[in-house]
Amino acid sequence: MWILSQKYSFIQRIHLPRFQKLTAHKQQMLFGYLILLPTLVIIFVFRFYPMLQAFYISTTDFDLIKSPEFVGLYNFMDLLKDPLFLNSARVSLTYVVFSVVPTWIISLGLAILFNRHIRFKNFIRSAVFMPVIMPAVVMALVWTFMYHQQGVVNVILGWLHLSPVPWLRSSSTALWAVILIGVWRASPYFMVIFLAGLQAIPEDFMDAAQIDGANSWQAFWYVTFPLLKPTTLLVMVMSIITAMKVFAVPLIMTNGGPANSTRVLPLFIYQTAFEFFDMGRASAMSVFLFAAVMIFTVFQIRIFSPGEDE
Amino acid sequence: MNRSALNIKLVRVIKKIFIYAALALAVFISLLPYYWMVSSALKTESNIFRLPIQWFPNPINWMSFVNGWQAQNFPRYFFNSFFVSITITVGTLVLASLAGYSLAKFRYPGRNILFIIILSTMMLPLEVTMVPLFLLIKNFEWQNTYQGLIVPFLVEGFGVFLMRQFILGIPRDLIEAARIDGASEMRIFVQIVMPLCTPALAALGVFTFREAWDMYIWPLIIVSKDDLRTVPLGISLFMGNYGTSWDQLMAIAVIGTLPMILLFFLLQRAFVQGITMTGIKG
Repeated sequence: MWILSQKYSFIQRIHLPRFQKLTAHKQQMLFGYLILLPTLVIIFVFRFYPMLQAFYISTTDFDLIKSPEFVGLYNFMDLLKDPLFLNSARVSLTYVVFSVVPTWIISLGLAILFNRHIRFKNFIRSAVFMPVIMPAVVMALVWTFMYHQQGVVNVILGWLHLSPVPWLRSSSTALWAVILIGVWRASPYFMVIFLAGLQAIPEDFMDAAQIDGANSWQAFWYVTFPLLKPTTLLVMVMSIITAMKVFAVPLIMTNGGPANSTRVLPLFIYQTAFEFFDMGRASAMSVFLFAAVMIFTVFQIRIFSPGEDE
Repeated sequence: MNRSALNIKLVRVIKKIFIYAALALAVFISLLPYYWMVSSALKTESNIFRLPIQWFPNPINWMSFVNGWQAQNFPRYFFNSFFVSITITVGTLVLASLAGYSLAKFRYPGRNILFIIILSTMMLPLEVTMVPLFLLIKNFEWQNTYQGLIVPFLVEGFGVFLMRQFILGIPRDLIEAARIDGASEMRIFVQIVMPLCTPALAALGVFTFREAWDMYIWPLIIVSKDDLRTVPLGISLFMGNYGTSWDQLMAIAVIGTLPMILLFFLLQRAFVQGITMTGIKG
């Protein structure tokens, strides 16, 4: 890159008449708008407009057949009294908390291990990364098979002298089975991000800490971890938002059952809209989900903040 | 003195054992579903749940792949998935790099507002907008069409953000120099900006393809015709059929994962880079 810039650098010194610069500037502006236009159209039509529309539909009674009828905040008030909705919100919250915390610990732990000198690093890293590659539907299918009463998971429990668990068949275990898959899938993903964060920390820092007499735990806690803070925040926000959106796995594995124990909010929204055709109510739920995601998105935009222009 | 040196060495060995044990466990847990998927696909139906468990399929049953492949309209589902995923990927690469270039290197009124609007849709989950988006597509009469599957996902805020960040790092001098040389704006983009973006494009391309191949909820909502089903829909349908045998299901699972595995081994660096880039800061 610098070779090119060297080659052209003399050109900069050529003086241009003022009027020519001005029209050229306008032309450039036009080009700038023009190449942004297709993206803007798509994002406005398929993201921004539906987002606003969701608010409108949430204030109506709409079953796709009759035209929407304005009902004000009825859907919201009614939802807050609906045990099924409250159950869904609780299931989602449980899913988020219990999938996200182990994910952070495992992904950071793996990243720390991979940041050291270990043998067969490339092989091990590729192997550990494999869960990210498996398509969600395949994952749901394969794990359903593994969670079978006579499946491989129960066989392994047998090795440990534990009795078999009716994973997806019992309302007390199904959610945990789904959470386990979420952790399986998300951990290597966030490990990659943590590892990038760790590798950005100069090794000198650790060396200096160790020369000063810190043991490796102290060096991690007082040197690495504070420097890793932006990465950690980002992983926290991203993993929470990802967990809030989980849908395909519970839909395929349990369809929300047994006894609604795995009916996460996105799944309930889908069912309300496309199985019960209650668009207003589904949209009102979307608005609740939106509010929850928004809190974290605002947080994330602040981390991502547009940055300075050149 | 000697003793403490021995102690230090012992601690180091124990530490090493722990590290490798942890890694071995991680590898085992990560690969077990893959191993189980492949080995079960190769078992005969009667051996699937046989106890004691069969770790190596014996006899090997290749027919599950043939029977599974023919049980549903899988050739068509694969064509659909490839067509939709490739179109979305190409569209994203073109549109996101154009938009990213515009936001990074051009000055015009409203630029920052537009960028913030695009950013704000970045984390907007489809789960939030699926009802209105469905109604929109219904009004367009795009249900059961390829454009219904493709157009809403042709470009996403994330891709634009990523390309903008990358293009910000390209020196303005390069672009100015080409301008003074008399190159047209489009030519500058194609011949100077794009080639410098190759690593970002590779990462974004692989990332987008993976997401598109994985797409489930949207096709589920707008596709009801068999001709337009994608692989994930086909697999979940096959799974829901009463009496489908597990060996055939696992065979289809293997085939459905294969494109991702190939992509990973061919473009491992870009694959990992795509994820790392979801973690970059502005």
